[in-house]
Amino acid sequence: MAATLCARFLPKQGWLPLTQGVRHGSKAVTRHRKPIHFLKQKLLAVTKYIPPPRPVPPDAYPPETTLVQEDSGFVLLLKRDLKKVFQDHKMVAVVQNSGSNAEDMITLKQRLYKHGISVKFFPNQVMRSFLSESVYCNMTPLFIGPTVLFVSKEPKVKEMLSALRASPQMILLGACIEKSLLSAQGVVSYSRLPSVTVVQGELVSGLTMLTSQTSSMLQRHPAHLSALLHQYIKQQSPNDGAEEAT
Amino acid sequence: MMSLVKAAVGGFMGVCRAHGHQQGPLAGHLKILTAAMKTFDIPPDYSGVVLPAKPKLKYMNKVPNLKKAKKEAKKLRDIQGPAKTANAFMTGQYAIVAMGGGYLHWGHLEMIRLTINRKLDSRTTYTRWRVNAPYKPITRKGLGQRMGGGKGAIDHYVTPVRSGRFIVEVGGKVELGEVEHVLIEVAKKLPFPAKVMSRESLAAFQKMQSDMEQNNQNPWTFKQIAQGNMLGIRKVLSPSDLHNHGRYTGKFWLQGRV
Repeated sequence: MAATLCARFLPKQGWLPLTQGVRHGSKAVTRHRKPIHFLKQKLLAVTKYIPPPRPVPPDAYPPETTLVQEDSGFVLLLKRDLKKVFQDHKMVAVVQNSGSNAEDMITLKQRLYKHGISVKFFPNQVMRSFLSESVYCNMTPLFIGPTVLFVSKEPKVKEMLSALRASPQMILLGACIEKSLLSAQGVVSYSRLPSVTVVQGELVSGLTMLTSQTSSMLQRHPAHLSALLHQYIKQQSPNDGAEEAT
Repeated sequence: MMSLVKAAVGGFMGVCRAHGHQQGPLAGHLKILTAAMKTFDIPPDYSGVVLPAKPKLKYMNKVPNLKKAKKEAKKLRDIQGPAKTANAFMTGQYAIVAMGGGYLHWGHLEMIRLTINRKLDSRTTYTRWRVNAPYKPITRKGLGQRMGGGKGAIDHYVTPVRSGRFIVEVGGKVELGEVEHVLIEVAKKLPFPAKVMSRESLAAFQKMQSDMEQNNQNPWTFKQIAQGNMLGIRKVLSPSDLHNHGRYTGKFWLQGRV
C-alpha cells in the first residue's frame, strides 16, 4: 500500500521521476464485493449447506394423520335436526335437483305440502358425517352433488312420484322407507304395491283356500256326496282292470 | 312450514332477480337461503400495552455536542461482522433490522424520523430509536486537492451500523399488518439491506439458522476447516473469517451460509 520507487540508476543528483506508481489493494470492508481468492471460493463451495434429503415432495401423498376438526355449534344443531328427521319421518327420499327455478321450487313444495311431504336442505358434509355415525351409513353414496331431502311421516310415494314427474330437473336417487333402503326403481315398484289391508286379505284367502273348499263341499247334501264317492270308486276300479288286462 | 316461508322469501328474491337486466345462462335459478353462523376472529388483547409519554421519534443532531472535535481514523471494522449490541427487542413489537453493514448519516435519520412520525398514529403506536445520533466524524479534502497535505477537515458525522442491528423499534396497540407498509418503505431507503421483523419472525429466523446448523448434511463446515487450518487455508482467510465462520464478507452478510 506504500508507494514504491524502484531502485534505479538516477542519472542526475536529486532527479525524481515524473510519475510515481502507487500500488494498493482494496481494504477488507469495501462497497463492492471483493474478488475472493480461488482457494477461499473452493472452501465456500465445499462447505455449502446441504439440506436433509426429502424422499417425496411434501404434497405428493395425502397426509397420514387426517386432522379431525371439532364440529362447530351450527353443525351440531344440524345433526340434531337430522336425527329428529330420521326418527320422526317414515319416508326419507333423496332427490337431486339440477338447477330448478325458485318458482318451480315453490310450486313443488306447495304440491308436496298438500300431501304432508316436506322438503329439507342439508349440507352434504354434515349429512355424510351424520350418516357415518348412524345406522343409515349405506345411504352415504346418495349424497353427492346438489341434493334435497323429501321427508314425510306417512310413506306417500305415489303422490311424491307424480309431483317429481311434473318437475323434470328433480331426479329421484333413492329413499329410505320404513327403515329399508330402496333405489329409484325400488321406489317405483313400491308405489305399485297394493295397500296393506288388500295384501293381508289376499294372504288370508290364499291360506284358507283349501279348507274353505272342503268346508263348502261338506255342506252339500249327503246323497250328493255318496254319489260322488261311488263314481270315484267306479273310476278307480275300471282303471285297475284296464291296467291288468294290458 | 319454516322451509316454505324461507323458500317464499328466497323465491321472491329470485323472482325479483329474474326480472333484472343482464341475466346470464344460470340466472334465476334457486338460491337456497339458510341460516348460518358467522364466526369472528378474536381480536388481539392490548390490555398490557403501555404507551409512553413521547411516542414519536426524537430529533437527532447532525453534529455531536463536543467542545473540541477530533478527527478519527477510518476504522471500517465498525461495519464488519455481526452486531453485538441492539440486536434484540426491548419494549417494542416490530422493528427494522439491518441485514448488512453501513453508515447512517443525518439525512437517513431525518428520512426515518419524518416518515415514521408522519405515517404512524401517535395515539396507538410508539417508536424508539435503536441507533445513536451520528458520532463518528468523516473527513473530506476539498475539491481538486492533490494527495498529501495532511488529513482533511471533518465534513460530516455518521453512525456505523453492523449487520443484525435494530434501527427503529415500533410498539403499541397495533398488528404487524398495520405498521408493515410504513416500515418497509423506510427499510428500502436505507444504505444497507434491511428487513421488517416482529418478535415472532425474529425468533423464527434465529430458529431457522440454528436448525440449518443442526441438520446440515455436509460433513465439512467452514468453522471446522478454518479453526483447524486444514490445508493451510488460513493463508487466504482473515482473522475475521475465523471469528464469523465465513458468514460475513466485509460489510455483507452472506445468506444461506452454514
